[in-house]
Order: sequence, then structure tokens, then C-alpha cells
Amino acid sequence: MSLSGTERKRLGALARVMIPGGAGQPGAAALGLEGAPVDDVLRIDPTRAGPLRRFLALEGPIDTLAGIEALAQHEPDGFEAVSVVLANAYFMHPETRAAIGYPGQEARDASVGLGEADLALVDVVAGRGPVFRRV
Amino acid sequence: MNTESDVVIIGAGPSGAVAALELLRAGMSVTVLEQGDWVPADHFDGARPEWELTQLKRWHPNPNVRGRPEDYPIDTAASDVNPLMFAGVGGAALIYGAHWMRFMPSDFRVRTLDGVARDWPFAYEDLAPFYGYVEEAMGVSGLSGNPAYPDGAPCPLPALPMGKVGRKAAEGMNRLGWHWWPGSNAIPSRAYRGLQPCVLRGTCGTGCSDGAKATPDRTHWPEAQKLGVNLRTGARAAEIETDAKGRARAVVWIDRRGARHRARGSVVILCANGVGTPRLLLMSGLGNRSGLVGRRLMMHPYAGVMGTFEDDLESWVGPAGQILTSMQFYETDRSRGFLRGAKWNCMPAGGPQSFRAGYTGGTLTGGWGATLHDRVARKFGRSFEWGIIGEDLPDESNRVDLSDALVDGDGLPAPRITYAISDNTRKMLAFHTARAVEAMEAAGAIETEVTPLIRDCGWHLMGTAVMGDDPETSVVNAVGAVHDVPGLYVMDASTFPTSSGMNPTATIMAVAARSVLDLIERRAEVDAA
Repeated sequence: MSLSGTERKRLGALARVMIPGGAGQPGAAALGLEGAPVDDVLRIDPTRAGPLRRFLALEGPIDTLAGIEALAQHEPDGFEAVSVVLANAYFMHPETRAAIGYPGQEARDASVGLGEADLALVDVVAGRGPVFRRV
Repeated sequence: MNTESDVVIIGAGPSGAVAALELLRAGMSVTVLEQGDWVPADHFDGARPEWELTQLKRWHPNPNVRGRPEDYPIDTAASDVNPLMFAGVGGAALIYGAHWMRFMPSDFRVRTLDGVARDWPFAYEDLAPFYGYVEEAMGVSGLSGNPAYPDGAPCPLPALPMGKVGRKAAEGMNRLGWHWWPGSNAIPSRAYRGLQPCVLRGTCGTGCSDGAKATPDRTHWPEAQKLGVNLRTGARAAEIETDAKGRARAVVWIDRRGARHRARGSVVILCANGVGTPRLLLMSGLGNRSGLVGRRLMMHPYAGVMGTFEDDLESWVGPAGQILTSMQFYETDRSRGFLRGAKWNCMPAGGPQSFRAGYTGGTLTGGWGATLHDRVARKFGRSFEWGIIGEDLPDESNRVDLSDALVDGDGLPAPRITYAISDNTRKMLAFHTARAVEAMEAAGAIETEVTPLIRDCGWHLMGTAVMGDDPETSVVNAVGAVHDVPGLYVMDASTFPTSSGMNPTATIMAVAARSVLDLIERRAEVDAA
């Protein structure tokens, strides 16, 4: 599925209010979130498209969070779709991940096991003795 | 299509896998009916950027959310907790956290010790050899010598790393003098049999994309296939049939195209979980002389305390299983105002999606705007959770029965859950979350958030075909044989008299091993069709 131009414009307006940027993190506008990033999310989970479109079709001011809240209370399932789509488009974006220091769920070596510092902490527990209830 | 084998097993999850493999090793022919499919590791999204997106739908543990053809819907309108499960070869283990905990010795003696519920018909010491047996098969990683267990709960593989999160949590617990121990997980810390070594990706709960997490599709079914198991996927059991003498004789099952088949066997074993098993017994009208089929449902209400720290803890790093556990407040202390206790598990906070609005409570948009960026800056990578699993005492009014309105894709009645959280549980979780806040503060948390109950927490489905010696007050005997139906067995957690406060997979597999090995030993005595 593909959003219409009108829908995409409305979603972009929502995104700019919901994700304005700050604290060293990019805003939705700078990332063009309503374009390819949102398309990627809807390709992966097309079940969000229906409720998303219902929300985008609502009329009402969306230039503040208070305005969006009023619409969200009217159409909570639609707003949930907006939230899921925008949040995933945002946090899947490489620029966002770089900004927050998130490399993604990368692979690491688990075979290193417990280190000396860990075992020193464990020794304290072991030294306190058994804690199970005698039966 | 009709098939004939010595044994028919319903469900290819952990208990079904244990049962099938032992029967095959003993030279018996086995047909297994599994309503789900095989799920190859590369189907899971853990290594892909969208892993947090697909866990909201495709890999969600609630079948009502997933809505796949192989899932049956569940009527949860009258339940405080949603039951969670997964249909597939490997069962719900495919998306479990792999927390591997033996029940405690006291868990088998609740009536004797605390005057509530029931004792199990066997003791921890009786089950201990079977724990060891299944732990070898599952490649459990952990540190032996846990002072919470009389035998130290030995593990065949070394523990996974504690990481920055574990060290932070441990320091806090040591300041308080409270028990903790490195987590034991069914996740190998190094290559083990058919399992790859864990890579700490932290996505266990949405399926292991690295082939590391111990799940029956990797630990049991490959050998079962070599031994000739007839494993039917996309096979939904509809009814258990008996012969003229009332002995289990066959299972009627439905394929994805709606065609009905009959799998005949002289023994039928139910391994369909604490919801699916009573559903099938009720649909078949079997085994319910006691009136307890479906009753005493226990689901382990779950609470959590999240702590935020100034330090960067890389708290998206796995395992998403348990990094540490604590049994400090596991046992009954009547001065607390409730009976029994809870186990704690220290877990990483995961990826950044939890910061979106809708997870924060309050208004729908409260987590967005500048708040979103502020919360991410303060918390992302700097938070972890002490999760709390409270022992859920059995109550006959908590039950599974058959919906009179909702049906699955084949027109079979959906299970209906009636479940209310008890006053004992509410007091227990309130006490434990308060202590977990103290543990976070002792570790240096600058902020804590309490989640008093998580509705989507019903991973552990137990008690709905309770075991016991008396046919008037139990459904199966101590080795899972249904009292009233020769040749019919239950070998999943439906049989558990009490729930403990532990993740149950270790005990599910150990009890299944104990039961099926007894069946094999006594097969000549079974009054089978």
C-alpha cells in the first residue's frame, strides 16, 4: 500500500509535533519520516495501514499535542497505529540510532562468561550461606 | 487420512518433545499433532532493525493479537490476565525468555508448610534427577552452587556474562545483604550439541535468530525425526476418541484446508498447555469425574520495577533471559500479610521503542514531543528491570471452559478464561515491588517506575488437570495418567498442583520425563486399546 499525497502531508504534520527533535536527537522533519521510513514500516506490518488512514482522515487541528490528544481520544486505535508507525520509523532510522548511541541488537561474545569482578560479587552471596527453606 | 501408531501426542512444545523422544528411543512409533509450523531461525527478526516492530504483531505472545490461522482465539473478557502461548514446533519456547529455574523444595510441600493449596505427590528430591537430565538436553548455562537450593542447582554450561546491568544490580543487592545469583538460562554460553553459542543479541522474546536459544525444534525434534517420528504440522486436534471399553483410541484432527483425519494410537498424550489441554478434554467429554478439568488455572501475575541510572549500562544487551535472579523473599513470612512469595529476575530494558507514547500511562500523547526526547536522553541504555513472578495459589473459580459464542477457524469452541487476581497476590506483589524499589535505590537508581501488574503476562499456564492420588479430587495420577480413561495421559503443566513462583519450563520438561519414562517402564501394564 502507499499513502496518498494528502495522507502523507497530514502524517508529516503529526510527526513534526510528536517528534520535534531535541536533546541531541533529530526531528521527524529532518529525517523526512513520512516518506521512505514510514513506507518501510508499512511494508513490514501492513496491518497498521487501515487504522492509520482512519486517523489521518480525521479533521481537526494537529499543530499541538493538545489538538492531537483530542483526536486520539476520539480514535484511540488509529492513534495507536500512528504511534507504532512513527516510533518505529524513527527508531529504525540510522541517524536516530547514531544520535542515541544505539547500535541495534548487535552480536557479542557470550563465552567470556563471568569475570573476576563478577565472581567477587558472587562470593559475598555464597559467603552468607544457604537461604532455602528446610522441608 | 487415518494413521496408526503406538502413541499419539498432541502438541510439539517442550513436554511433547520430551515425551516423543523418549518413546521413540524405546522403540515405539509416535505420531505428533502440532497445529503450528516449523519456524526456521532466519524467520525471526532479532538481527534486523524491525525486530521491535514485528514483536507487536507477528511475534506477539498473545494469540488474540497475532491472529494467525494456526492460533485459536481465547475469550479473555472475564480475565485479569491474558494467557500467552505460541503454536509451532517448539511451542511457546520459540518465543520464551529461556529463564531456567528449578522449583524450590518448598514448592512441592505447600499444604504441609503453609496450610494452603496441595502438596505434590512427589518431592524435589524425586524430581532432581529429571531436572539434571533435561538440563543436559537443553544446554542450560548458569553458575552452580546457588545457595537458594540444597543441591546448588548445578548447570551443565558456564553462566552467561552479567554485563554492566548485572553488576549494577548485584552491587545493590549486596549492599542490602539480599540473595541474588547469576541467571540460569536455557541459552548455551558456548556451542553445545545442535545449538549455536549465544551472542547476547537480547531478542530471545521474539525468537532466536541465531539458533542459540534452546528450543525443542533444535534440542529434541531433530533426533526424533531421525528415529522416525510422524510429526504433523498444521494439525489441529479436535477430539479424543475412546473405544467401547472407554480407553483412549484415536485423535481426530483437522488440517489447514478443513479436512478431518484420524490418528489412531493405543496411548494418547496431551501436551497442549494449560489452556489447550483442558479445552480438548472438555470438547471430548473426558476425564472430568472430579469436575476439576479446566479449574485451578494459575498464570503467575507479573509485576516489574524499572530503575534508571546515571551510568550508561548498555541495557539493550542480552540475554533477554534473566541476568540475575533473587530468592530473598521467596518463602512465606506471615508477618508480611500474605502466603508464599516471588522470584525476581533482573532483565535488560531492551530497545528504544518502549519510550513511545502509550507505554507511559496518562494521556495518549503524554510521551511525545519534547518529553520523548528527554526520556530517551535520560533513560535509554541506562535502565533495567527487576521482574517479579509471584506464586499464584490455585483457586477453583479461576478456570478454562468452552466459549458458547467464540470459535476458532475450524468452528471449534474457543477456550474461555475466567481469572481474578487474589487478595493474597495483590499483597504479595505490593510487598515485592516495594522491596524491588529499595533494591534499585541501593544500586544507585536516580528514578524508579513500578508496574504493579502487566496484563500480557500469562506465560505460565498451569493447574487445569491437576495430579493427585484420589480420582474424586484430581484429574490425573502422579505420572499423568487420566484417572477415568485408560491410555490417556497429560504431561504438560496442566497437572501441576501448585505454581511455585518460578518459570515452569524446567519443571514441565522434568515432570514430562518422569512421567513418560514411567509409562515406558510400565507399558505392559497399561490397559491400552
